[in-house]
Amino acid sequence: MRRRWLVGLVVLLLVATLYPASARGQGAVRLTFWSWRTEDKWAYDRMIRVFEQRNPGIRVEFVPFRQTEYNTILSSALTAGRGPDIIHLRAYGGLETFAAPGFIEPLTFEQVPELRTFSRQMLEGARGRKDGKLYGVPFASQTIVIYYNKKLFAQAGVGVPKSWDEFLAVAKTLKDKGILPFANGGKEGWTLEVMSGAILPNFYGGTTFFDAVMAGHTSFKDPAYTGALARMLELRPYLHPNFMGVDYATMQQLFLNEQAAMFIGGSWEIGFFKAQNRNLEFDVFAAPPPKAGQVPWVSSFNDGNYGVNAKTAYKDAAIKFIRFTATREFGQMFTDLLAQMSAVPGVVIKDPVLKHVQEMNRKATPYIMLVGFRWQAPTGSTLLQSALQAMMAGQKTPEQVGDEVTRGLSAWFEPFRGR
Amino acid sequence: MTGRWPGKLATQAVLLANAVLVLAPMVIMALSAFKSTREIFQNPFGLPVVWRLENFSRVWVEARFALYFRNSVVVTLASLLIILVFGAMAGYALGRVRFAGNDALYLYFLSGLMLPIRLGIIPLFILMRNLRLLDTPWALILTYAASGLPSAVFILTGFFRALPADLDSAARIDGAGEWLIFRGVMLPLVRPALVIVAIYNLIPIWNDFFFPLVFIQSDRLKTLPLGMTAFFGQYYTDWALLFAGLTLAAVPVIALYVLLSQHFIRGLTAGAVKG
Amino acid sequence: MPGSNRSAGDSAAGRAEVAPPAPRSTPSRRRPPLSLRATRRLWLIVFLAPATALFAIFVTYPILSALAFSLYAWEGIGRRGFVGLANFARLFATFPYSQLLGNAFWHNVLVFGVTMVVQNGAALALALLLARSPRGAKIYRVIFFLPVTLSLVIVGFLWALFLNPVFGIVNRLLAGAGLGAWARPWLGDPATALLTLTLINAWRWLGFPTIVFLAGINAVPEEYLEAGRIDGATEWQLTRHVIFPLLAPAVTIIVLLTFIGSFNWFELPYVVQGVSGGPNRSTDVLSLFFYRLAFGEVDTGLQDIGIGSAIAVLMFLVLVTVSALAAVLLRRREVELA
Repeated sequence: MRRRWLVGLVVLLLVATLYPASARGQGAVRLTFWSWRTEDKWAYDRMIRVFEQRNPGIRVEFVPFRQTEYNTILSSALTAGRGPDIIHLRAYGGLETFAAPGFIEPLTFEQVPELRTFSRQMLEGARGRKDGKLYGVPFASQTIVIYYNKKLFAQAGVGVPKSWDEFLAVAKTLKDKGILPFANGGKEGWTLEVMSGAILPNFYGGTTFFDAVMAGHTSFKDPAYTGALARMLELRPYLHPNFMGVDYATMQQLFLNEQAAMFIGGSWEIGFFKAQNRNLEFDVFAAPPPKAGQVPWVSSFNDGNYGVNAKTAYKDAAIKFIRFTATREFGQMFTDLLAQMSAVPGVVIKDPVLKHVQEMNRKATPYIMLVGFRWQAPTGSTLLQSALQAMMAGQKTPEQVGDEVTRGLSAWFEPFRGR
Repeated sequence: MTGRWPGKLATQAVLLANAVLVLAPMVIMALSAFKSTREIFQNPFGLPVVWRLENFSRVWVEARFALYFRNSVVVTLASLLIILVFGAMAGYALGRVRFAGNDALYLYFLSGLMLPIRLGIIPLFILMRNLRLLDTPWALILTYAASGLPSAVFILTGFFRALPADLDSAARIDGAGEWLIFRGVMLPLVRPALVIVAIYNLIPIWNDFFFPLVFIQSDRLKTLPLGMTAFFGQYYTDWALLFAGLTLAAVPVIALYVLLSQHFIRGLTAGAVKG
Repeated sequence: MPGSNRSAGDSAAGRAEVAPPAPRSTPSRRRPPLSLRATRRLWLIVFLAPATALFAIFVTYPILSALAFSLYAWEGIGRRGFVGLANFARLFATFPYSQLLGNAFWHNVLVFGVTMVVQNGAALALALLLARSPRGAKIYRVIFFLPVTLSLVIVGFLWALFLNPVFGIVNRLLAGAGLGAWARPWLGDPATALLTLTLINAWRWLGFPTIVFLAGINAVPEEYLEAGRIDGATEWQLTRHVIFPLLAPAVTIIVLLTFIGSFNWFELPYVVQGVSGGPNRSTDVLSLFFYRLAFGEVDTGLQDIGIGSAIAVLMFLVLVTVSALAAVLLRRREVELA
């Protein structure tokens, strides 16, 4: 008896769950929109509602995946000729990997006239390198900054440093007062790349060096670059004693719980910090230049783009949505809801911290590896992240890091061949 | 006899120490699930000051635990069913019948024991799409069943082969058909092996999160490990929720294990001696 | 009997009643007589076809296709022309791939070695102790095996939380025991990360080899041991000269399973350290290296499916060679036992 009952149960369970997925709704066009921004779902849902009210025939579903798995899922889906109608894409090389094989619909100014008004810098991140065509609407610009806790700074009697030496002095004062100066860690290599994006440009000379290295006039073996790397090592005494085990989540917690006074990170953190701890009094400053009085460089980049799947069945509707994301209205909502700098020109920034970020951008330099060296594997980011971990762990010198990155890039970056 | 006492004491000490090493992390996990995040940091080892149940209720609701749990049960049971039925049939043929290519086929299945199907994930995805199975439980069930078959064939072939040679000839002389010999005579004799196969495959299938990740997009079809990893990724700063989620995800398997531990262990014991 | 088994066996019968023709009518006199050989051949196909087909379609075909991918040029995820062995040439000749390959392979070897010594060594010791049937042996067995049932996702997250250098309990425990100087970023220091991961893995798996060894020891006939004791042999001599030789089959199984596990190692490093095998590739293993090239680094998303597939081919070759050897070994042993 018991056996039959069990078999029956299994069969029943199976039958019950194997009904086909709900059929596509009749009448309205249903678009799916994949993204890696799990934490922004609420904001996208609100912005999509505005779009749906304007366009009654179209429904959009925002489906976010975990950042760590997003590329796996997206690439398998696109390879198989499926995937969403609207795709949240990365910029530069991260876009190229999907655009070059023809998986993304190229966009023209006729289709999305709003794109004409976007800054050239932003559009660079939406362009395929091979064909120069536009593949998406840029959504945000990000800047690498240094966050600081106002309360802890006041407690230690220190202010925003104006030069590198002051910066180190501030860190030392904080440490002497028993406050952890920096929340940053090294367990996840990308957080070290972010740190380098803040510290290095002032020492290697910002965009001048970027242009020289892109043109192949110099490489990462340049003493300007390795000397800048050595500056990162000067911060080591002011990181957590076990900072190599500190991951991104722990970094955020240290800063949010006011256990660390500074956090070197991207402008995308503002919204998160505010949402997680309303009482946190924080602001940002640009990584200090060698000498007081100099205007500091900040690294910035196009964070990514909204693109259209070349195989979508609803191209018109999808492009209509993409156009919507290029409007001032969308950009304003995006900035207001998420406290990030929309890529749409003319958006008014109300958030005081974000305003500071915007001011710093008057002297912005491309975030070097992401903008310049992510076009082919091994990417500059991949190479740099690992090498930085070794450097911060005391296993490699800045010169070895420069060597390794240059050598790795020479696999595909012609100008580095033989260097 | 008295000379043995120190030895016995030392034995107990070693075994006890290992038991603590095994249990302590799980006990701390379970206790932390009842604390607040602040309490976890301040008082990681002690009992919770207040036993908070809301961590669990939040996980239950926000992580859609019941739904994922049911999905995992369905996928696991269906996969095991296919593995056992097809595996037993193939094991019977390979273990009892001499035919050209027997060895080759056996080795062919054996190769599957060593190769991670993960290597073929991109072509597998395209295959599932062509069969229109993407985003259905069948994509998972067929993948798990196919990758579980080698172990089933390996274990069951060995068992069938070890049965006395005259068993089936006797039945055949009595006029029994092939299916009856298999189902009525042979299968009951390898029942312990079926348990081994079931247990051997149960744990990896139940715990897998890679294939759901790639094949399943609808939230309502996600299995427990996938649902939980998404949850962990979302609440990574809230340690109280994380521990509650970990505990809740571990409880079903631990409960099953405690209920059936002798079967788990006996199954593996038999498998090792036989294998 | 566990419920799952009952239902499985039972439904096999249930299906059989519907699906194939009633077996008893096979040597029917009314129909033109099929020769016994032909009938048996037909049955052979019925028995073998489902498993073979399923395995061929959903395992062999995808793996072989993936291997074929290594012979093509790739542009992102788009397949281009046939390039022969060019991907292999790039893998072996290009920095950093050539170094990463050796690095990852070496880590697989290390994981295998450390697991053999630490995990399986401890398992053998525990099994020998348990085999003497000390008080509570049954409960100990149940406890020791418990972590084997846990998902690696759970194990990985749990230990990552414990080993967190700021909030985790491990460093705190050390500090509490006056060993504060030993506190370190276990998973973040390139010098300790792989070892730490291997030990987490051992924590999870320890019960498995313990039970297998215990079974092997229990299978040693009691008379052998009695005879030895009468001859005045010490416990160690009995262990060394009677138990160990008879334990060979169990050891073979464990070595093989440890090898396969070590060379397919993916979940734990992936869950705990992420896809980069950090810090500085110190926990990189072949599966991660493959996955990273085939699906892209997390934040760059750039893929090189050509080289990724070339790595898959190499993994395939290593595993096939060893599995073939093992199969031959196991076959031979079975013959000897028979």
